[in-house]
Amino acid sequence: MTWHATPADLRDYASGTLPAPRLWSIDTHLAACAPCRTALAATADPAVTDAGWARLDAELDAPRPGAVESLLVRCGTPDHTARLLTATPVMRRSWLAAVALTLLLAAVVGRTGTPLLLLATAPLLPLAGVAVSFGPRIDPLYETALVAPVHTFRLLMIRSVAVLLTTLPAALAASLTMPSAALLMAGWLPPALALTSLGLVLTPRLGPVAAPATVGAGWLAALLAGRLLTDGAPFPLTAAGQLTGVAAALAAAAALVAARDRFDGTSRPAPYLRPRAGRLP
Amino acid sequence: MTHPTNHQAAPTVSAAGLTVTHRRTRVLDGVSLRLGPGVTGLLGPNGAGKTTLLRVLATATAPDHGALTILGHDPATPRGRTEARRVLGYLPQNPGFHPAFTAFEFVDYVAILKELTDRRARHAEVRRVLETVGLGEVRGRRIRALSGGMRQRVALAAALVGDPAFLVLDEPTVGLDPEKRMRFRELTAEAGESRTVLLSTHQTEDVAMLCHRVVVIDAGRVLFDGPPDALRARAAGRVWTGADRAPGALAGWRTGVGTYRNVGDPPSGVSPAEPTLEDGYLLTLHAREAAV
Repeated sequence: MTWHATPADLRDYASGTLPAPRLWSIDTHLAACAPCRTALAATADPAVTDAGWARLDAELDAPRPGAVESLLVRCGTPDHTARLLTATPVMRRSWLAAVALTLLLAAVVGRTGTPLLLLATAPLLPLAGVAVSFGPRIDPLYETALVAPVHTFRLLMIRSVAVLLTTLPAALAASLTMPSAALLMAGWLPPALALTSLGLVLTPRLGPVAAPATVGAGWLAALLAGRLLTDGAPFPLTAAGQLTGVAAALAAAAALVAARDRFDGTSRPAPYLRPRAGRLP
Repeated sequence: MTHPTNHQAAPTVSAAGLTVTHRRTRVLDGVSLRLGPGVTGLLGPNGAGKTTLLRVLATATAPDHGALTILGHDPATPRGRTEARRVLGYLPQNPGFHPAFTAFEFVDYVAILKELTDRRARHAEVRRVLETVGLGEVRGRRIRALSGGMRQRVALAAALVGDPAFLVLDEPTVGLDPEKRMRFRELTAEAGESRTVLLSTHQTEDVAMLCHRVVVIDAGRVLFDGPPDALRARAAGRVWTGADRAPGALAGWRTGVGTYRNVGDPPSGVSPAEPTLEDGYLLTLHAREAAV
């Protein structure tokens, strides 16, 4: 044991006024440190000590927040929101590894040849991330979440934030390895936001797989067409292209906010919100 | 339709003329129901519309037509929907799990979705429901390491978290062995002591043992709504034993003692047998088919 609880911490702990996350550190520490437990017993009157033991007992089987969740709570995120954020499927290692690999490949190709691969893939990653985070076939708790009082749109936004938090910094880092990094970022960031929002807007109509697939295919087709039709810089890297990207992102975000009530299971027709085909009579 | 058993208690959930059409098929065809406190059983063959009815009552899907009130809230309005969801516990037919979650983490996650934001109070509630379903000892175990029966109880705990006044259970005993089913029956009965519980099932024994009322639906319509005894009474005089399977019987089988038990319209001079709820259910479904 390299540290011990301070008398002030123990006093606050005993009186039940020690705030999280310090409270959790002391809880964990007390479970493992006999001298601190003895010190705690000396600090508090027996009734308060018993209450403390009951709390400690309760903490022992409470979920252990992971590193990311603890960090979010330390940064002031309410613990329940942090839990929803980190339970998003994209927080799994397999997804993070896929993002990292894709970007690594795009960066390597970009340094030796064209930045087009990075330009094409960086906006698709958040789109794909949102797709794998939400939907009756993908989210195992979809039905439970749908009938919970938490508004489905709020849950969707929390998950989208989780997706953007994992993909955007990685894509920014990949861009920094390239020549003319700032121009490149200005080229893919607005389309990334626009495509993600557009994919979400279309989800109640087309479904959680077809919507992002359509939007992603549209993006790739537009880039390819631009490449075939003009010889100059790709359109998203021109001033006009970047302005278009920002305008599209704003328009898609506005459309998403306007469509927020379509996500909570009562707008019909909404094929996406219906039960799985196999479960229908 | 009147509901003789439910006149004592005011209805907590009422539905009128619920209609759901899916790809030109009427899945629900004008279903009207008034549920009160206690356990109501919902019986019907596969494809009768049970799951769709439960999904509508659980606000997972909106009806094309019809009115619904859940403990005074109208789910057709955004505000009423949120209020209804606050008093609702729903166990779907195939409850999904994050397999990497522990039982505690899973129920805790559902509790967050049910707006239990205070960490300490929420954790106390999660412990309470896990104790209620008898999983206090394994709360720290990962869901992928739990047996099917235990998982089903974790799902029930998740439905019970937040102490909902209206509980919707969609075939919770499917795939459970008799002992587990008995345990689940105890839990459902306990839940029904202070709540309105709607239990969809294929097991007529579940209904006979648990429910003060039973609703039979087929092809999206209510065929019967009343106490289980009244459903059983529909088979009075229409079950008999004999030396052979009677040619005109709807169902007939050789029992362990060597005689045949027949259900249907008896010929004269046969010895009648005591009807069961299942006989009444079978005859009710058949009466509809004959009418069609």
